[in-house]
Amino acid sequence: MAQIVGFESTPTRRGTMRTLRVSAHLAWRILVHEKGRTALALAGVFIAILLVFIELGFFIAVPQGGMLVYDHMRFDLLLVSTDYQFQAQPWQFPRERLTQAASATGVAGATPIYFAGGSWQDPGGGLRLDVFLIGCDPAAQPFAVPDIEQRQDILAETDTFLVDDTTRSIFGPLTTGRPVDIDDRRMVTGGRYHLGTGFLGIGVVLMDEANFFRVAHRSRDPVNLGLITLAPAADAGEVAEQLRKTLPGDVQIFTRDELTAHENAYWTTRTSVGLIFGSGLLVALIVGLMVLYQTLATQIARNLPQFATMKAIGYGDASLAAVVAIEAAIVVVTAFFPAAAAAMAVYALIRSETLLPVALSASSVAAVLAATLIMSGASAFLSISNLRRADPAEIF
Amino acid sequence: MTILALNRYVSPRVPLAWRNLIADKKRLVRTSAGIAFAVLLMLVQLGFERSFFDASLSAVRELDGDLFVMNASKYRFGTRNPFAHNELNAIKKVTDIASVAPLYGDWQDFFWTSPIDNKPHLVRVFAFDPDAPPVFLLSGIADQQAALRGDDTVLIDSRSRRFLGMDGSVRETKLDGEMVYVVGKFSLGPDFMSDGTVIMSDRTFAKFFHSTPATLPIEAAVIKVKPGEDLSGVRQRLTAALPSTLTVMTKPELVEFERNFQAKLSSAAPIFWLGALVGFVVGTLISYQIIFTELSDRLPQYATLKGIGYKNAFLIGSVLRQALLTGLAGYIPAWFLCLAVYRIIGDIALLPLHMTLQVTLMSLALTLGMCLFAAAIAVRRVIAADPAEIF
Repeated sequence: MAQIVGFESTPTRRGTMRTLRVSAHLAWRILVHEKGRTALALAGVFIAILLVFIELGFFIAVPQGGMLVYDHMRFDLLLVSTDYQFQAQPWQFPRERLTQAASATGVAGATPIYFAGGSWQDPGGGLRLDVFLIGCDPAAQPFAVPDIEQRQDILAETDTFLVDDTTRSIFGPLTTGRPVDIDDRRMVTGGRYHLGTGFLGIGVVLMDEANFFRVAHRSRDPVNLGLITLAPAADAGEVAEQLRKTLPGDVQIFTRDELTAHENAYWTTRTSVGLIFGSGLLVALIVGLMVLYQTLATQIARNLPQFATMKAIGYGDASLAAVVAIEAAIVVVTAFFPAAAAAMAVYALIRSETLLPVALSASSVAAVLAATLIMSGASAFLSISNLRRADPAEIF
Repeated sequence: MTILALNRYVSPRVPLAWRNLIADKKRLVRTSAGIAFAVLLMLVQLGFERSFFDASLSAVRELDGDLFVMNASKYRFGTRNPFAHNELNAIKKVTDIASVAPLYGDWQDFFWTSPIDNKPHLVRVFAFDPDAPPVFLLSGIADQQAALRGDDTVLIDSRSRRFLGMDGSVRETKLDGEMVYVVGKFSLGPDFMSDGTVIMSDRTFAKFFHSTPATLPIEAAVIKVKPGEDLSGVRQRLTAALPSTLTVMTKPELVEFERNFQAKLSSAAPIFWLGALVGFVVGTLISYQIIFTELSDRLPQYATLKGIGYKNAFLIGSVLRQALLTGLAGYIPAWFLCLAVYRIIGDIALLPLHMTLQVTLMSLALTLGMCLFAAAIAVRRVIAADPAEIF
């Protein structure tokens, strides 16, 4: 008892540490006293954190989907038209710009990528589907995708294409050797590759330049994207700056970071995606806060006589507040890890259902943990006002 | 006083659940706010799910026809896959048809130079003969189509995405590099593929393809049947008169065709269903917390009622009634708040977010379901209440 009396009256550092230790001990005792209630509180907080993870997953899914194909292309700098909107609407620019860029110091190589919209129809008839066509020079190894890199000889064959293996099932079997009419030209499926369609369309096929020019009725000039690779020692920022000065005004240059920022901004501000999932994320945070607050407030309400008793025997509001805050922190941290694990399972489900590359990055885990700790702090603060009302004289 | 007399006092005349609900006004506000939040979460998610479909279907829903002839190989309405112009002759020969109007469309080839950034942006284009009967029901199109008789004139969608600058005072701009003149506006809204819509005459449309209306391939023939004639009879005669490469659809079939495509190939619906489910789970937890706290606080009173002879069934009934009332107390403000939320998000995101009877009923059922479910779990405490132990 002497120890507990000392609890309030020593304003030294050691005293504060002891106060915290006693508060933590008390918080722990409250939590293990009624295991059923604590389990319920944990379940509630678990759901709240999971909700935040899910909404965050949706929020990042779309921009990540928009970056999917770029993430599998080999380049240090991307050369595009000044009218460039986003990946599927890149516009075009003169091929000469690539030659000019390639001759700049620090640049190791520059290769064009061609895009076109086309149609896909079985030779026997049936639905005429929209398919996205990619044309490239396989020898320049523009795609960091093993299925594409190992099939250079197949891509070199006349009227042969490779098809993305996430092309939707409405396109029929994507078996090697299947003849398909692409833009009314009879072509042959040379194989599948594993990359993902991103937001290019519901089906994507890839072919070498010669085949692409024939089927899409295009020529070598103009091009849609220019992939620039740098010499080992070159600095991407410096070379980009140099190219901006020397190249004519009909093109612009993105470093990888700038491209990510541009595509993210496109998906979150130009489409309704940012608003829909942004508002979902906001609601998730508010609901999470409310669930936490309700949980804590209920705990306090149930223990109010005990808290009032402690006040009567000399505990101050601050030490009781510390009990509540520590209780909140224990509940949140305990619920966080299973929630993060469950979120991974939900993300896997989103990946398979939507074919978007949702992934739990370390920074998003840290962001959610920080957000939940802030929420637990806020809800502890809100529920402590209930505690102040605990009047020892009134309670009994 | 006998128990029977007291029973008459408390049970039918004193609405115990109601009295409990309104006994503490502050608490009522707190509990209904908690439940309202969960309800709002469900309503918004359900609304998004619906509006996603509505946005993709808005263009076909605004088509003004009884029957539509399209290429049979079309997998969705919003893709260019036209049929030869001379097939119109076969359609016109079918009896009991009041009018046939060709509709032209393009989703991939037209770039609108936005007055905002002076850059070309992909837009959706529809075209028709301004002297033919209207092909769109939408006001702003049907009543302004005469204005499209002039060369290179267009009607634009004022609900297009803002970066296209169609909501401002744009008078003229370039479309695929050619000058076009804005002669009017309508209000349709974007879908998840097209950011904006431009409407023009068949003559202007044909110019972009270096063609003439007489030879321009047709995206869809919009057919009106003579009043009083049997739709299925006309449809049968049409199908018989046309080659198998063409298909005939009624308006509901066309809407269903587009809806099926969206449901099969888009992944938005499961996302919003999952969101609504999360709202339900969160709502159940919140309701449980609220109801449990409420019951705990009134346990002595419930025990007293038990002590004077009330049966568990009566008390359970009262708890469930109170749970339903609490649910309603949260639902009603949430429903009204949601109207404002739909309005604001709908305007910013240009989504057709509307409160519908279906969304109302579904969310109400979910709300009452979660409150009853929570009460059913929490009520065990009342059943276990021992009058002798409470005091």
